[in-house]
Amino acid sequence: MKIVYIEHNGKEHVVDATVGKSVMQTALDHAVPGILGDCGGACSCGTCHCYVDAAWESRLPPKTEDEELMLEGTLHTEANSRLSCQIQVTPEIDGLMMRLPSSQVL
Amino acid sequence: MNTKISWDPYRPDLAHNPYPTYKRLREESPLYYNQEYDFYALSRYADVEHGLRDRENMSSAYGDILEFVKAKSRMPDAVFIHQDPPVHSAYRSLMQRIITPKRMLGVEQEIRKLCARSLDPLIGADRFDFITNLGAEMPMRAISMLLGIPEEDQVAIRESVDSRMRTEAGKPIDLSKQQDLQTEALGSFEEYIKWREKNPSDDMMTELLQADFNDPKGGKRKLTRDEIVAIVNVVAGAGNETTNRLIGWMGKTLAEHPDQRRQIAENPGALVAPAIEELLRFEPPGPFMARYVTNDIEYYGQKIPAGSALLLLVSSANRDETRFVKGDSFDIHREVRPHMTFGNGIHVCIGAPLARLEGRVAMEELLKRFPEWEVDYDNAVLSSTSTVRGWDSLPVWVGSKPKNATVSAPKAAAPEAAPTGPVALEGKWNVVVKGPTGPQPAVLVLEKNGDSFGGAQTGDGATSQIIDFKYDGKNISWANQITKPMKLKVEFKGEISGNTISGKAKAGFMGSYPFTATKA
Ligand code: HEM
Ligand code: FES
Repeated sequence: MKIVYIEHNGKEHVVDATVGKSVMQTALDHAVPGILGDCGGACSCGTCHCYVDAAWESRLPPKTEDEELMLEGTLHTEANSRLSCQIQVTPEIDGLMMRLPSSQVL
Repeated sequence: MNTKISWDPYRPDLAHNPYPTYKRLREESPLYYNQEYDFYALSRYADVEHGLRDRENMSSAYGDILEFVKAKSRMPDAVFIHQDPPVHSAYRSLMQRIITPKRMLGVEQEIRKLCARSLDPLIGADRFDFITNLGAEMPMRAISMLLGIPEEDQVAIRESVDSRMRTEAGKPIDLSKQQDLQTEALGSFEEYIKWREKNPSDDMMTELLQADFNDPKGGKRKLTRDEIVAIVNVVAGAGNETTNRLIGWMGKTLAEHPDQRRQIAENPGALVAPAIEELLRFEPPGPFMARYVTNDIEYYGQKIPAGSALLLLVSSANRDETRFVKGDSFDIHREVRPHMTFGNGIHVCIGAPLARLEGRVAMEELLKRFPEWEVDYDNAVLSSTSTVRGWDSLPVWVGSKPKNATVSAPKAAAPEAAPTGPVALEGKWNVVVKGPTGPQPAVLVLEKNGDSFGGAQTGDGATSQIIDFKYDGKNISWANQITKPMKLKVEFKGEISGNTISGKAKAGFMGSYPFTATKA
């Protein structure tokens, strides 16, 4: 099981993921720079923001209302923005590619 | 190991450099128990993070301040920092829509103007104070601005306050100074809310008034005025003191790292933001948070029984060497990794985007005007309580330093003098109320009129006559009317011992808080 994170400067991190953890926590466990996850996955901070690679957009579970509302106030969002704490690692997302914003906080 | 590690969070001599003690705690006693005050403490990064995220075993129902958790203090529901889900979630999700990162970034220009307003008058002076001249002014004004008290409207509010004051106090009140205006503007909170109801705008207050609230008890409704006052109090209380401290640490830390300060000044676009993150990691304004433990849990083979108070040492976690290489050095170039300064989990600071913005803009505006300064430690005062650690005063030299001025080691706020014989009541007393969001200082001046006493109390820039004074040789009580952050009667009841009065201050519906008063 792998997840790929691409920093804003293009640096790629391919990390091992464990089923049951979130995509945010997986990044933190591997010290991927650029994801903060301040609220620990409670969908309350918007510092785990990522852009989902086009090939993956339709293959992820849809956003909940909470995630939509949180994203509305988050910085630098695009149509393919997601909060990575709201995406759980499952066998179906093996190989998921996430791009990181220039900053989570400004 | 020769001596067993002990850590007393109240020891004033530790305030200056608590970090070696934290390091020993992490190494020798990662789960620490303090017998004297009966609390547990976790100091390693992983444990602090785990604790803050542990909804099953950790409760905020009695707040996040050690004394409050031990006293099992309860607060009205809308004081959401002091609640667990589902009550916490209901208010938090409403606030989350109002205090968004987007909205905070949107006020950058206004924050910049506020910094300029504090800093411009200092240009040309030889010295200024990071706290008095910037930290105590800008964050407070920023909150007022976000709440929608714009300059031009302040006149309207001021007039309404003015007339009310005149009828209440029987004499006009000098509102000429901006600070007083702010105080009064917040003081007339009820009036302001009423006025804002009729004059909606695009500020936070209007949103609070109009927002649909999903009551955890069922149904959708608007917030009541009491709830709005409590929420605003939490936001202002959690945001002012902490950001003020951040600015103080900025002054001290950059002065001690002149090379990095020069680099930042030369390349602010790239370096201010990482410098703020590093500053937040290095000197957290709130060094620890408390929780009430709801179930028996175990760390390192040792039990923490249900009902215990547990301290999560953020400022220790932030220097954990297993996570931050050379954690004890200040390095704006270090790899960005999350720190714990804004907490973690469901209560994580909702104002973090604003705090980061204020920090960043303040650093930029400061370095533009004053690329170098030197701290006057002889006149600087540091204080450390169970809620915040930082400078009460941080004077610096920016111009030519007079030859006879000496710069010596930092000194801590004077520890409270040991109780001696009874003291005369008349005179000046330094009062500190341990409020829900940090210590609130005030000065009480008592005068003897024949057999009775009267006097006045000053806090937060406002003075009022005290009322209901009673003293029987041991028990002492009085009350005063405060106007900030809202209009309230505060009743002080305590016992006098030597030169110290300690007891409880009851602040209307906000609850009772411990206070001490020391004869100055
Ligand atoms: C450097 C400045 C700041 C620091 C270090 C800081 C730190 C914190 C921390 C550690 C918490 C979590 C408390 C806990 O878990 O028990 C917190 C909560 C909170 N902060 Fe901040 N804060 C800062 C600035 C602000 C600002 C500017 C605001 C206002 C906009 C603010 C509003 C709040 C609120 C409302 C909460 C309660 C959140 C909740 O319980 O869900 N803070 N802050
Ligand atoms: S970690 Fe806070 S919203 Fe995802």
